[in-house]
Amino acid sequence: MSTQIEQQETETEADEETEPEVESPGERRRAQRDERQAIEEAQRETEEASLDDENTITLKVFRYDPEVEGKQEPRFDDFRVPFHKGMTVLDALIYARDHYDSSLTFRHSCRQAVCGSDALFVNGKQRLGCKTQMSELDDPVRIEPLPHQEVVKDLVVDMEHFYDQMEAVEPYFDADETPDDKLEEQRQTRENREKVKMSTRCIWCGACMSSCNIAAGDNEYLGPAAINKAYRFAMDEREGENRKQERLRIIEQEHGVWRCQTQFSCTEVCPKDIPLTEHIQELKREAVKNNLKFW
Amino acid sequence: MAQHYSSFDRGGRRWLFQRLTAVFLIGVLAFHFMLLHFVNHAADLTFLGTQARMSQVSYFATMWLFLVTATFHGVNGVYNALVNQGLTGSRKNAVKYLLGIAGLLLVVQGTRVSLAMTTLV
Amino acid sequence: MSQSYNRGTVEDFGRWREFSAGMWAWIFHKFTGWVLVGYLFTHIAVLSTSVGVDPASAQAGSDLYTSTISGLESLLIVRFLEVGLLAVAVFHILNGIRLLMVDLGVGLESQDKSFYASLLLTGAIVVASVPTFLGGKLA
Repeated sequence: MSTQIEQQETETEADEETEPEVESPGERRRAQRDERQAIEEAQRETEEASLDDENTITLKVFRYDPEVEGKQEPRFDDFRVPFHKGMTVLDALIYARDHYDSSLTFRHSCRQAVCGSDALFVNGKQRLGCKTQMSELDDPVRIEPLPHQEVVKDLVVDMEHFYDQMEAVEPYFDADETPDDKLEEQRQTRENREKVKMSTRCIWCGACMSSCNIAAGDNEYLGPAAINKAYRFAMDEREGENRKQERLRIIEQEHGVWRCQTQFSCTEVCPKDIPLTEHIQELKREAVKNNLKFW
Repeated sequence: MAQHYSSFDRGGRRWLFQRLTAVFLIGVLAFHFMLLHFVNHAADLTFLGTQARMSQVSYFATMWLFLVTATFHGVNGVYNALVNQGLTGSRKNAVKYLLGIAGLLLVVQGTRVSLAMTTLV
Repeated sequence: MSQSYNRGTVEDFGRWREFSAGMWAWIFHKFTGWVLVGYLFTHIAVLSTSVGVDPASAQAGSDLYTSTISGLESLLIVRFLEVGLLAVAVFHILNGIRLLMVDLGVGLESQDKSFYASLLLTGAIVVASVPTFLGGKLA
């Protein structure tokens, strides 16, 4: 509370100071902003100096950079960040980067669990940084890049293989027959929509693939996310029987659904609560039923 | 890698057989344990006792099916475990044939044993 | 992309403390499966002593098959191994039932509870069977 009042005061002071000079409005605003930032920075510094153990959290962050000598050998760096109610893992990382080490590298974009950029390995579990409350985690919070993917730098992993697997199941709507009028809506029944609803929530974050013991061992395994994508379209009645057969042929290869060992790891880590194991199991039964028809 | 899915090797049959044999084995393995450890104490087994049991057609048939299904379930399970760990290429093929031969030999030897135990043949 | 750092498989089993029910169930199922398939081969090898048994010695109970089995059963270590085998078989059966349910899509929400149940039941059955397995003549 006290900091807010101070801020208002300094703002008005800044206004008064810059007014007499003759400048363009843009320059004036920039100068005001710079000054404000300098003051805020000073405030932050005094704030940090006064940090006690009660309202701070220690982050232990995995650091690695092949291009910087001294960082080629992976290590953990500690960052002490002030805690505030509602703070997420991503907030804490952003704080650490903006205040302590601008070279700390991690992906993030929307900050609201939609873009799927910031899946991280936090305290031994795959979680979405922006969706995980710091208050839920034990101190110190250990933050690592996703396991089973190669680390490019710090918390950034190479997602290429994951995207390859996703694309292998042809993850786009592709109906056998399109309406004569190309602009006509292709409607889905409410029941069918309910069936695929959860599977449509995937944000391609890769948490499931990273948690999967089989995907770690068998590089060709499609993985939970890709199979869930296949489920989303194979179960969509608007696509038609031919397309469904093609989709089943993709997922019923040796490195498709059969590799799933129902360890439930993927289902447990999915930040969007998609019942991945359930979908994979349903596709297995669907594939078996489908083949029994031809025997 | 993702682009190289060309051979449509359908693993669904083995998956289904693994489950079907499982259902059979659950019953027979439990029965086998009960009979030879609780009803007949393992320490008291004799050749004549074994022969008497194995000379009933239904028991003989059950035990022989037990042998075949258990061999399939076990050997296929081992193969799956290795594929899950990323076994590929020529090593995978070698393992496939090796396990196939081992399984076959086990069934042959098991059949010889079961024939030696019975008066049916 | 220039270079990347592969952390290898250290993170897999080095992190066993963080494994959850489904993962443990898989590890136990796999382990008991390996034991059972190993036992199957050994079992047939031991039973092979029945091939070519002389009918006269079988009548007297002194044939190779009978003497091999009673010889093995007279060793205390074999009795303990048998209890171990029972534990392995019972767990594989119970967790196998659980996996069949999972395959049929039944009770997926309570898969962790059914794993704990199969562990407890295995323990109970094994404890209850110890007298039967260790009792009887040791010779």
